[in-house]
Amino acid sequence: MDRLLVVRCPELRDDDEGGATRRRFATVLDALGFYCPWVTPHELGLCSLPARGPARYFGGEEALVSLVTDVVSALTPVEVGIADGLFAATLAARGGLIVPAGETPEFLAPWPIAMLGDDDLADLLGRLGLHTLGAFARLPEADVLGRFGSDGIRGHQVARGARGDLLEMALRPSDTTRSPEAIQIGFWGGVSETDARATRALGQVQAELGAEAVLVARLQGGRGPADQARFVTWTDKEHTRTSAPVAPWPGHIPPPAPITVYATPRPVRLLDPDGQPVTVTRSGLLGTPPASLFDTTHPVLAWAGPWPVDERWWTRQRRRGVRIQVVVDVDAHLLVGGADGWAIEATYA
Amino acid sequence: MSDPDGSPDPRQDKVAARDALRARGRTSLTTLAERVRPVSTSSSRVLPVPPFLADLLPEGGLRRGSTLVVDGPGPVGLACALLSDSSAAGSWCAMVGIEDPGAAAIHTLGLDLARTVFVPNPGPAWAEATAHLLDGIDLVVLRPPFPPRGSMARRLVARARERRSVLIVVPGGSRWPEPPDVRLTIQNPRWTGVASGEGYLRGRHVTVEATGRRSAARARTGTCWLPGAHGSLEAPTLSGMGPSGPTFHHLDSRTPVI
Repeated sequence: MDRLLVVRCPELRDDDEGGATRRRFATVLDALGFYCPWVTPHELGLCSLPARGPARYFGGEEALVSLVTDVVSALTPVEVGIADGLFAATLAARGGLIVPAGETPEFLAPWPIAMLGDDDLADLLGRLGLHTLGAFARLPEADVLGRFGSDGIRGHQVARGARGDLLEMALRPSDTTRSPEAIQIGFWGGVSETDARATRALGQVQAELGAEAVLVARLQGGRGPADQARFVTWTDKEHTRTSAPVAPWPGHIPPPAPITVYATPRPVRLLDPDGQPVTVTRSGLLGTPPASLFDTTHPVLAWAGPWPVDERWWTRQRRRGVRIQVVVDVDAHLLVGGADGWAIEATYA
Repeated sequence: MSDPDGSPDPRQDKVAARDALRARGRTSLTTLAERVRPVSTSSSRVLPVPPFLADLLPEGGLRRGSTLVVDGPGPVGLACALLSDSSAAGSWCAMVGIEDPGAAAIHTLGLDLARTVFVPNPGPAWAEATAHLLDGIDLVVLRPPFPPRGSMARRLVARARERRSVLIVVPGGSRWPEPPDVRLTIQNPRWTGVASGEGYLRGRHVTVEATGRRSAARARTGTCWLPGAHGSLEAPTLSGMGPSGPTFHHLDSRTPVI
């Protein structure tokens, strides 16, 4: 896809009766044409030019961006950005960004689907729990075609960064905010007072305990319970993001999911009927059946497994491991075991 | 409050002025709280809970300003189930002192993780942190990391009442020294789905007993799956035999589980 430089003049976006805005935009195009002959106007206050040739000529993309910024800002406030394709470059211009070649999909991922300009599609996807271009991009193309037709496919390809020509979409929101978060706030009708109250309270807790004491959870795909979520420090931007839907992950542990997931599995003794440690054989079976946990006073009432563990974190440390579920006293635990013994990875309630 | 005008004792003046100021501060805070509360929930004195729990709670939900205690084996899932409907309706939730929370399970129990915050290790300042949270967050689950003193517990209960938040205490190993408005106790937990090396966990059948003060004085009990086979709170099925979804005897060892 073409490397495009987009020039966006926020003050020249709205037409006026006398045509003054058009005349001013024409002077912008003239000024740019002096440096590059292929300037394409798309809408009032918005034009693009191919970045590759001029960037080479003027000593790189950054040099080109600062040249264009200097030229246009002498006439009117301006936002300049470079990315692959017009859609991404238009968004990049809002933030004054140069998105490196090939990184457009990552750049697009956090933006709201509404940026595609198709309200029906955004609404539909929102109800499916998909709110960002990245979440939309992860849907298989065949599913998108089956469910949303050719318009959906067009949006999907743009969301994936596979095509960049859905121009009308990126243009519509006429605000001049600079980040996906900020734009989302505008989109969803402002931060609610509930959110504002919560934000104040959480800010006070962070002042008291340190910022990293307040966390929010993000779901992600993963086989083991510890891989299915990660915790990040809460910031006042966080509430505008939504968590990803729980991705079905091949081979994940079936629901219900454990309510307690230990950040570090807790070493524990798992004993067989003779009071000896339960071993794991080379082929991933238990040498003897489990009979008690911790010590012989906590009998294993029921258990299930073993299931092989093949996560990377595990293979880095041990050659082979297994998981089992055990019911002990009133609790149910998920254990991981291997050559070095057993550990409680998670507890179900 | 006495009128300080004309009082010959300046000290008395000061005390009266301070009292007046306090009273005014309290009023303005309350008005402010009323004003900033979102339309959707400001009208509701009682925050919604799933139907099974609504049947157990004296007012059919979580009354704003009240304090609940959730105890018995494995109480965190029940605390989450209490939050689920309000969270889905847009309320913020906080979990203080719940170490190593399982986010996937909490999500499946119905909480919106975008408006749920975790303070897993609040340390010695846990009570101050909880008080701040009660100022701005509708539902606060607290497992005190240290045994709470009576004065601390009273302060937090008062704060919840004043700010119209709901405090849900999971005492864990320690005792909560204040009588709660409602106490939910998990009893007779029974795990199903696993045998001797067969199947996998399908759910936990529990009895939940609700007791309380005043209107809630009479104990109510109900049984449910917590978690059920899909990870949420599931009210008993008609047959009363097992959680919905495939039950254990439909599974066999060929089912790929991990």
